[in-house]
Amino acid sequence: MNTDISIGTGNPIDRVEGRLKVMGLAKYASEFNVKNLAYAQGINSTIAKGTITAIDTSEAEKQKGVIKVLTYKNADKLKQYDEELPAISTSSIQPVLQSADVYYYGEYVGLVIAETFEQAQYAASLVKYTYSEEKPDIDFDSSRAKAYRPTEKSDYSRGDVSQGLAEADVTLEQIYNTPIEHHHPMELHAIIASWNNGNVEAYASQQIIDDATLTIADTFQIEKKNVRVIAPFVGGGFGSKLHAKQHVILGVMASKQIGRPVQMTVTRNQMFTNTNLRQRNEQKMQVGAKSDGSLTALSHDTLSHTSTYEEFQESCGTVTKMLYKTPNNKVTHRLMPMNLQTPFAMRAPGEATGSFALESAMDEMAWKLKMDPVDFRVKNDTQVDPSSDKPFSSRLLNECLKIGAKEFGWEERPQKPGTKEEGNWLVGYGVSGASRRAPYQKTSAKIILELKDSEVFATIQMDATDIGTGSYTIIAQTASEYLNIPVAQVDVELGDSDFPKTPGSGGSWGAASFSNGARAACENAIASLEEKSGLKLADAGLAKLMRSGNLNSFEAEGTAEPDEEFKKHSVFSFGANFTEVWVDKDTGVFRIKRMLNVASCGKILNPKTAFGQIIGGCVMGAGMVIAEQTKVEPNYGNFITRSFADYHVPVNLDMANIDVIFLPEEDKIANKMGIKGVGELGITSVAASIANAIFNATGKRMRDLPITPEKLILAEKEPGVA
Amino acid sequence: MRPFTYTQPETIEEALTASVTNTDSKYLGGGTNLVDLMKEDVERPSQIIEVADLDFNTITSNETGGITLGAMLSNSETANHPDIRKNYPLLSMAMLSAATAQIRNMATNGGNLLQRTRCPYFFEVSMPCNKREPGSGCGALEGANSKHAIFGWSESCVATHPSDMCVALAALEATVTLQKPGGTSRTIEFTDFHRLPGDQPEKDNTILPGEIITAIDLPNPKFQTNYHYLKIRERSSYAFALISVAAGLQISGGKITNIGLAMGGVAHKPWKLIKAEAFLTGKMPTKANFEQAAELALKGAKTLSENEYKVIMGIKAIVRALEQALAKTA
Repeated sequence: MNTDISIGTGNPIDRVEGRLKVMGLAKYASEFNVKNLAYAQGINSTIAKGTITAIDTSEAEKQKGVIKVLTYKNADKLKQYDEELPAISTSSIQPVLQSADVYYYGEYVGLVIAETFEQAQYAASLVKYTYSEEKPDIDFDSSRAKAYRPTEKSDYSRGDVSQGLAEADVTLEQIYNTPIEHHHPMELHAIIASWNNGNVEAYASQQIIDDATLTIADTFQIEKKNVRVIAPFVGGGFGSKLHAKQHVILGVMASKQIGRPVQMTVTRNQMFTNTNLRQRNEQKMQVGAKSDGSLTALSHDTLSHTSTYEEFQESCGTVTKMLYKTPNNKVTHRLMPMNLQTPFAMRAPGEATGSFALESAMDEMAWKLKMDPVDFRVKNDTQVDPSSDKPFSSRLLNECLKIGAKEFGWEERPQKPGTKEEGNWLVGYGVSGASRRAPYQKTSAKIILELKDSEVFATIQMDATDIGTGSYTIIAQTASEYLNIPVAQVDVELGDSDFPKTPGSGGSWGAASFSNGARAACENAIASLEEKSGLKLADAGLAKLMRSGNLNSFEAEGTAEPDEEFKKHSVFSFGANFTEVWVDKDTGVFRIKRMLNVASCGKILNPKTAFGQIIGGCVMGAGMVIAEQTKVEPNYGNFITRSFADYHVPVNLDMANIDVIFLPEEDKIANKMGIKGVGELGITSVAASIANAIFNATGKRMRDLPITPEKLILAEKEPGVA
Repeated sequence: MRPFTYTQPETIEEALTASVTNTDSKYLGGGTNLVDLMKEDVERPSQIIEVADLDFNTITSNETGGITLGAMLSNSETANHPDIRKNYPLLSMAMLSAATAQIRNMATNGGNLLQRTRCPYFFEVSMPCNKREPGSGCGALEGANSKHAIFGWSESCVATHPSDMCVALAALEATVTLQKPGGTSRTIEFTDFHRLPGDQPEKDNTILPGEIITAIDLPNPKFQTNYHYLKIRERSSYAFALISVAAGLQISGGKITNIGLAMGGVAHKPWKLIKAEAFLTGKMPTKANFEQAAELALKGAKTLSENEYKVIMGIKAIVRALEQALAKTA
């Protein structure tokens, strides 16, 4: 039993790399000192569809410091997509500058390489393009006729929804809209690439090292073993850095062409146009229930867009398949190819947006049924995943709702909308449930033990990344636990493709995968040492194990992966969010007064970093409601929100106190350590919770995000609200 | 960024001379707007004349019993100055609602008056914009215009002026002092400083070539008790106003004896609500009167395809600002 707070998991210790970060010693991709570095600046198209008919690079090439201008005319020939478009956006290639065709506004059409960043940037503005322009598909409504069923099969049904609706005492049919959003991690996407005789070394801000390595290799058609990608620190990603984007390829290409290392940083403005987006979703919900509140039907149809050259589908309906018990269920997704860049996974892709629709619809149903929204959800709980008929490995959704309601003071909620006042404000309470798949993937790690005097020091190596989530800390805590040495004696080295392979950070699989991988390596090391020494770790301690084996150093590797039990179950994290909002009676302004997020996500490795994940999710979820949206210019197809001055993320004043409760939960089916994902659970329940609170405050049902003052002031009360 | 030269004159005369010599030059105050626009390639000066350290950074009493704000004084120093907080709290409140503390620390008073529109077509050089490139057209007129003007716009430009400070200055009936080479200066009414777009939207204001703002003068202290600056925006700070209202009331014998009322976010210039002011002067400060005044103020608003909400929001905002002003007690 570890009583020392510095040993093992479960303790709220500070981040082990925190000191490096606050001292500026943690190096991010563009901060490495590489000799003889040149700088590249991407050039963006200024039309949404058409063909480049002429390029004049002469003025740019004349400028001081300019080394080379790259366009489709002199770019390296890269591996192309198969003939038939759109390609799946998760495919491992990222061709760029391969033709004169332009598919969306802001697409890379060129690159300037210069001695300094400023020279590259200025020269990039001097390259002149002439286009033959075509009418782009940039309007959501007029693209409807082009909607198709995505290649990635995501339609689902059980029972008969129309029959379920016919049997219902109360039904609902509504459409919920979420806009285009952007990830905008704090650290800009960046790469420093060096091409040396067919070998590539790249410092790149990526969430998944192995994917970046593969993308570079496949796009340039070189061996993967000749590519090394390094990312010890990543300043956030939210999904935008899951897969290598075109700038990664451009950076490598630039280095190949000039024979020098090249740094390429994506500007904040280019973060809108060149690092993907969360797609706009139009979600039609149909719900039926008996008067006692039992659901008879749930249907969820999502219409969204993809690019004309790649396909990506945010699966909004996932949550509707599994969260509540209903015999009749239908989920569809349709995509429209449009002249916008390819959407991609953004924090809780599908869940964050899909839950807004589902959990808003559930709230609307509860109101129609005259039931408490908490009771209505509790009534429709299921311990078996209805979409797969597999039991949940653990599911405490009802506990999240009930404990949350008690701790939040839910009984103070006004029974009738618009009846609780504070001066010029109307007060409302909202609730939403949440679920997020808790995946766990094959992960390897290497452990190096060194005996110095009477202490053992451990180094763990894996190609995992820390995107601000706390990977370094929880891996160190895990190794500390399984080796029974203080966290301070564990050194964690991450983010290098030379290290053992992991699935990287994303999809809420990081903590479970990394920790179990580290555990496996530690367990292998201990097993070998115990065998060699004939001693037991628990009795003798690690130092004695090594000494008696006459070992000053020892190395071991280990791999963890999902077992049969895991595959027989449906493994999800669950949660609930409670929000109090104050809505101004006249001006369209609302304030989030307080928020409680209850989470059941297995073992909490570090309450401090897990808390950070949840409150970060709450703020991002609040952003979905307050103002975050990327607007497409209706005539030209560019984004009119193009900087942080127009793309409004929440500020401190927008947020209130956020409390987080982690329910104790042991789930050894999820994985040996009982860890379920935290990273995306936090955001999932927030948008509906706030919108439901606004309804409770005002009687106005807000079905289009974000809920801006403009929309709120124009909205009418729901029919039937006094 | 484009190459440019940088000069740091010691006196205002030198600054004016430098400006006259190179008509392609720009004065640099705090740089919070100019530098952003240079990065976006919207402003392309060949010369930067640094004026922030010139001697116009004080707050002094003026001969009319009012106060003179130096043009180079920072927004933070101005808004937090004890005399401003005591005698012109409406100005202080408006200024503190703007931008962020960091930006207010850099931004100058003169620069605040000269800040340019936040219209996205103005900011994106590949888009048409008559203000940035005369003759190229107005992208917002038939485009994305939810945040644009409802008063005083023209076919060539529907942009709004983004300042909060200027809305309060319009309500307070300030004046602006401009100096030109040779030491002569002129003073104009604040409401004459900014202009409507007409067919020359490239001109934001009535400054003549070579002139520089040296001071902003406020008349006798007023609205020390009953004042309010209401700013409706998409988030609680660091966002421009969708609609803002500066309201100051002087009440005597149960009646409004003096009133200052202006709106932001609705026109190419801070929009002084002269008719509403006239309507309320001499009347009782009741909600019914406020509502009538607000209706009167928004009469004649001309909305675009996406900004109809501004009319209803404007009415609500005026009433609320007046109520809040009235509710304040010394």
